[in-house]
Amino acid sequence: MAIEIRQLHPSFVGEVSGVDITRPLGRADVAAIEGGMDRYAVLVFRDQRLTDEQQLAFSRNFGELEFTRGTGISKPGELRLDPAFADVSNLDTNNRPLARDNRRRLYSLGNRLWHSDSSFKAIPATYSLLSGRIVSEKGGETEFADMRSAYDALDVATKAQIEDLVCEHSLLYSRELLGFDLTAEERATMQPVRQRLVRAHPASGRKSLYLASHIGSIIGWPMPEARAFIRDLMEHATQPQFVYAHKWRPWDLVMWDNRQTMHRVRRYDESKPRDMRRTTVGGTEMTVAQAA
Amino acid sequence: MTISVRSITAVFAGEVSGVDITQPLSREDVAAIDAGMDRYAVLVFHDQCLTDDAQRAFTRNFGALEASPGGNITTLAERRLPLDMQDASNLDKDHKPLARDDRRRMFNLGNRLWHSDSSYRAVPAKYSLLSGRIVVDRGGRTEFADMRAAYDALDDATKAEIEDLVCEHSLIFSRGSLGFTELSDTERTMFKPVRQRLVRTHPVTGRKSLFLSSHAGTIVSWPVPEARAFLRDLLEHATQPQFVYSHQWRQWDLVIWDNRQTMHRVTRFDETLVRDMRRTTVAGDATTVAQAA
Repeated sequence: MAIEIRQLHPSFVGEVSGVDITRPLGRADVAAIEGGMDRYAVLVFRDQRLTDEQQLAFSRNFGELEFTRGTGISKPGELRLDPAFADVSNLDTNNRPLARDNRRRLYSLGNRLWHSDSSFKAIPATYSLLSGRIVSEKGGETEFADMRSAYDALDVATKAQIEDLVCEHSLLYSRELLGFDLTAEERATMQPVRQRLVRAHPASGRKSLYLASHIGSIIGWPMPEARAFIRDLMEHATQPQFVYAHKWRPWDLVMWDNRQTMHRVRRYDESKPRDMRRTTVGGTEMTVAQAA
Repeated sequence: MTISVRSITAVFAGEVSGVDITQPLSREDVAAIDAGMDRYAVLVFHDQCLTDDAQRAFTRNFGALEASPGGNITTLAERRLPLDMQDASNLDKDHKPLARDDRRRMFNLGNRLWHSDSSYRAVPAKYSLLSGRIVVDRGGRTEFADMRAAYDALDDATKAEIEDLVCEHSLIFSRGSLGFTELSDTERTMFKPVRQRLVRTHPVTGRKSLFLSSHAGTIVSWPVPEARAFLRDLLEHATQPQFVYSHQWRQWDLVIWDNRQTMHRVTRFDETLVRDMRRTTVAGDATTVAQAA
């Protein structure tokens, strides 16, 4: 059985067939998937009944996993999943939907904003792998934006203007946008990091816009001017021609390259369980030197 | 010479010809313009060399001028124009562009966000009239979104959900989203949030529209982050290309819009150039909902 990829959107996203990712993969299969990621930036695998262990094993084919502790507001005792997972569900440790005013729920609403995973870390993530264990029937789509095509479509003057710009990213900024109150202790764990606004993909060499709602400023710019400009770029980059909306089926696994895409979740009925589990492949280098 | 209106987009905005608005208007002309506003929500008049006084006189045909402080951090002493004329330029009192890091310029960048004028006042504005005295060639467009068409396009479940929702609007929220958070106590008091219905009905046509604005920071009785996320979704829906008209300014254009039926924003431009835009505003005559005690 050979891996095949069918393109789902004019510029990116492939649906993969011919592979069972619940089992150990051969080197050729891993290489085929990596080749697909470089080209399509988002890959969809259907009907993959992964256990947590199998998801971890599949993810490790692509590099070291990122541990999520210290990046959110959950305390160790509140984790529903192994710390190698980012819990993208709406559930508490008893697998029940969080109350409407639950602080963790309100914090996770940040996922409704366009972002790139871990852009708030000095070394941001490469791949994210999200397994749909219990999915929503209405809403809850994950939308992806192709930041290579978005970059390509900028005019020459804008490309020249942004080429060397450096942004500051922090969870502080995305949460402040939603009016979420953070404690002083939490704020201290969310020191802004620097990221280039334009980055080139190490394998394909293609340039892309490195945007996220975690951006709060551009180095050397007055903050409101930076914010207004970043909003304009975000609006440009998320036009329908650059966006693929993934309607989840149970046991879909979707894998995306955070270096080439942004994503967000759409609104859904949060009184019903939505159990989504994410593993994340850590990056290996910074996009720019950090402040001393 | 009779007034005629040419439709600009499929859903709204009209270009008016056959009238010189620098001169006093007949009752019929005023009625024709009013009717055009009810129907098109945005009207464009070209080649109207208005003085400030002529702009005021034309504006008064449609109601009393809004002339109260509370809309900006610029103090009376710093104002380039009198209180009954809102300064939408990038200029200081000496008609020179504000410095890049000038606090007033930072504040005015809020105009790059979609909004409805004076939605942060308990009695929000009716019409705004913007005269392009000195315009820029590139960028600096004013974009309008038709909030009636945006409302009509919502699904039934969403219409039912939002029918009676009430939002809180304040300049604190729109400026906060740009990271402009350093306000004096006086400014904070001046910008105290007000309540507005999310769905409002036009008094003449009876058409419903979404009363959205980047000034909206929460929905009464909703958790703030949930309200913000939902309002962002609605704003995104309402500003899709099929609901938007983007106006490229020519010198001496006058554009009138109905704040009860539209949102608008300015697009980025080279702020080292002079852009002199002067706005008069027709005050509204009612709150959209009772204010908090």
